Amino acid sequence: MKRFLVSLLLIACVAFVGFAADGTEEGLILGEPVAVTSAGQSPGALQFTVVAKMIKLEYTFEKLLSVDSIDISQFKTLVLVVGASGKGLGAANIDIEAEILRVKSLAEAAKENGLKVVICNLEGESRRGPSSDRIVTELAPFADAYFVKSDADQDGFFTALSEEAGVPMATFEKTVDLRDVLTKYFGK
Amino acid sequence: MKKLVLLVTLITFVFTATFATVTAPTVASSNGMVAAVDKYAAEVGARILEMGGNAVDAAIAVSFALGVVEPYASGLGGEGYAVITMADGSKYAIDFRSTAPMAASYEALSELGLTLSKANYTPKGACVPGVLAGIKEAWLLGATLPLADLIQPAIDLARNGFIVDETFAQTTSDKYELVLENGFDFLNEGFVWEVGSTFTNPQLAETLERIKEEGIDTFYTGSLADEIEEFMIENGGFMRKSDLEMYRAIVREPLHGTYRGYDFYVPHPPVSGPQMIAVLNTLENYNLQAMTWDDPLAVHIIQQALVLGDVDRRAYISDPEFYDLPYEAFMSKEYAKTRFMAIDLSQAFDPASYYDYQGDAYPFADGSTYEEVLLGALESVAANESGVEESPSTTHFSIVDKDGNAVAWTQTISSFFGTSVYFKGFFFNNEMYNFASSYREGDVINLTGGMRPRTTICPTVIQKDGKVRWVIGTPGGGRIISTMVQLAVDLIDFNMPVDQAVRTPKFVGYTTYKDLRIEEGYPQTTLDFLEKVLGHKLNVYSYPDLFFGGPNLISVEENGLMIGAGSIRRGGSASAPEF
Repeated sequence: MKRFLVSLLLIACVAFVGFAADGTEEGLILGEPVAVTSAGQSPGALQFTVVAKMIKLEYTFEKLLSVDSIDISQFKTLVLVVGASGKGLGAANIDIEAEILRVKSLAEAAKENGLKVVICNLEGESRRGPSSDRIVTELAPFADAYFVKSDADQDGFFTALSEEAGVPMATFEKTVDLRDVLTKYFGK
Repeated sequence: MKKLVLLVTLITFVFTATFATVTAPTVASSNGMVAAVDKYAAEVGARILEMGGNAVDAAIAVSFALGVVEPYASGLGGEGYAVITMADGSKYAIDFRSTAPMAASYEALSELGLTLSKANYTPKGACVPGVLAGIKEAWLLGATLPLADLIQPAIDLARNGFIVDETFAQTTSDKYELVLENGFDFLNEGFVWEVGSTFTNPQLAETLERIKEEGIDTFYTGSLADEIEEFMIENGGFMRKSDLEMYRAIVREPLHGTYRGYDFYVPHPPVSGPQMIAVLNTLENYNLQAMTWDDPLAVHIIQQALVLGDVDRRAYISDPEFYDLPYEAFMSKEYAKTRFMAIDLSQAFDPASYYDYQGDAYPFADGSTYEEVLLGALESVAANESGVEESPSTTHFSIVDKDGNAVAWTQTISSFFGTSVYFKGFFFNNEMYNFASSYREGDVINLTGGMRPRTTICPTVIQKDGKVRWVIGTPGGGRIISTMVQLAVDLIDFNMPVDQAVRTPKFVGYTTYKDLRIEEGYPQTTLDFLEKVLGHKLNVYSYPDLFFGGPNLISVEENGLMIGAGSIRRGGSASAPEF
């Protein structure tokens, strides 16, 4: 019985540490409606909307959402799904510099209007090239939280950014597991 | 219990021993060879050879398997072309290109406020699939095993699944938006398939089971045809059961050309066999053997010959059932001399005036020499540019069996994911887009019901003294002929082994591109020379890039050894049986 209790205690401790690492103990609750856009024009942002639909999140998605195209103050949260794709940028007829300018302006406006900004990597390691990393680095000063597919953080890139800024980071193994993260953070 | 274990062990041993194959990017064997863009598909072919099937049997099994493992590049909703040379000397060209449904027309589109471009990713963008009809013809012509045995490996792959590779994941990611909209069931619960995950396709397994049980005709005249019609009516497509009933794969003798003493067996129009021969005929006038693959002058000559070939293709290649064009004159040695004369060794063509360089092949149709023709009056033919930029989709495989039967087979659904319209586990092609985008007076590819659209695929068997020497082919949209010609030159003029020919960086000569698109790997001096001395505008791609195709080749050496090389640009493999 004693052994059982010790085990239970240990499990509880481990669970608490895991929870803490995810950051929700810091009390960050994200609000709806949510503005979702791509940062780099990979398909990750569209995949985010599939998960958002699953949990009935109230969101607006535009691949090229900009401060000129939308009144950002009507939202509570801005999700920037990062992933640089040469093909995606080409199809959207935008170059990387203009793309960075667009998402930075958006993040800036979001902060000015009191929105929480989430940086999300949904496609894992495949979106960890120089361009994707550059976008993340440029957006890092605005981040209130990171949602990251585990294999994108094998080198601790996102962990370092979240620790440096003192903002929470939630990781997930499979794309579909983002559902649990969103459920938790949006209190669904 | 002991007996049971022994039995299981024995069964396992027998199974392993029966289906022992060697699969790798490059493989050598005397037992037969399969080279394809995917290791699972290549292995399926090698297993059929190992079971005692011939090259045609293996080709049918690989065709089915590719529709499972690369559903975004080919499959039951697609079409293609095969060139087969049998060891007894018989040769077949099977045209299973798709045809426009009879109800499809510019007027019908216009009435709906559509254009071909707008209909491209809808059921209206689909032509009548030909791949199953092609398989049936191939089976009737040269197979030795029951069709059911040749479908079964594909059913197993679809049902049991396989590990997703980089190409599969990347291709799905690139077209995610489209597939999410039109082919949700294909996705992994709505998400992109990731590298290392297991892809199964129970819907396709069921469809293949039906074909196995009911026969191929179920797709064209039976219950599957009824369901296709129902789906098309419900979703606004043009295709009807009557189109499927009318569809026929066409069997001919392949076209024949030569290059430096080698015999090339290539497809008829509306695919690009004549263009490939025409370009090689032009190149035969140059002493390329005195150069190296990375010599800027060699690149210039080949690229300019390709541009001329492409200008002419647009005038001389279309569906021969609908247009009587002088494609045989286009691929004559005499006509090639006039193209040789058109190339300036010191200056690239101005891309803005590519169509000023269109040749006139008509006077060569009666066998006239170039002297006779050039001394006579020239007639002019209007240039035709469709301007369609094609994706690196499509797939090609090459097979040679131990007896010397050879198959070069290219199949496609046009763009990756075709229309992206998903039906019973496969995607419908978007071949309709290969017709002229709108009606143009005098054009040879105006959309017409029942007509086969033009395309650049070119599966080829090359023989020397009546024996198979190489089997070559590649996907790659508008880059196909560029890559094919470079493969031929690399193998014949530069004496490269097949794996090196696959690996060597490629470039493109294609009128749609106004720059010279070239893969990394050429010396800087070559690039500088092409740009600064010869006036090419360069567009350098990283190496390797799928844009330049995914060739899968087999060579047959003098001692009978076969060497297979799979494409490095698309994770290709060669596979051989181990008897």
